[in-house]
Amino acid sequence: MASETVENCSRHDPLLDFDSSDSSSGVKSDEYIELQFRVFRLAFLLTIFSVGIAGFFWGIQAGASLFIGALSGIFYFRLLARGIGRLGTSSKIVGKVQLLVPVLLVLVSSRFPQLDLIPALLGFLLYKPALIIQFLSMP
Amino acid sequence: MDSITAAASVVAAGLAVGLGAIGPGIGQGSAAQGAVEGIARQPEAEGKIRGTLLLSFAFMESLTIYGLVVALVLLFANPFAG
Repeated sequence: MASETVENCSRHDPLLDFDSSDSSSGVKSDEYIELQFRVFRLAFLLTIFSVGIAGFFWGIQAGASLFIGALSGIFYFRLLARGIGRLGTSSKIVGKVQLLVPVLLVLVSSRFPQLDLIPALLGFLLYKPALIIQFLSMP
Repeated sequence: MDSITAAASVVAAGLAVGLGAIGPGIGQGSAAQGAVEGIARQPEAEGKIRGTLLLSFAFMESLTIYGLVVALVLLFANPFAG
């Protein structure tokens, strides 16, 4: 009985709902979360593949820059997905916070000589091939 | 960097961000409007609509990012600085 009450509370209280990654936004759509995970998985695979190639052919510095750019691209995509998940439920607009990620990336890579700007930008755009593959594989 | 190059870079950076954000802004607004209307009309298709909106937003917003990157490169890593 007590466990049933706790279960009911966790089902209805958004603060206790651990099922959804967007629990704060109230989005319960499994399909949307699944799409996000598929894109993240593809982006990670592309990141590993391209960091390996860049590290092998152009050196560790290019590989590290590409890796940091790719991570920031994935983070940007996560922020964008969160903004869209909130649209219509807790927010009326899609936020622009995610645009700070490429700004910070360019600033950091122009300040630190250990990072190259072009590989970092190319790495940032690695989420796009993942999106295109996902878009083409959609039924 | 001489003063003419610096001034031209700042003006070009402003134009790159400002003009580059007009088109995607209009497109994102109309896409979001259509998506919210679609979700209100068909709540059972929410996941599919949000997924399509996410993909289209990512492609639209990349145009803004291109302008932003050009502006930031002109400001912080200017290739014409000599």
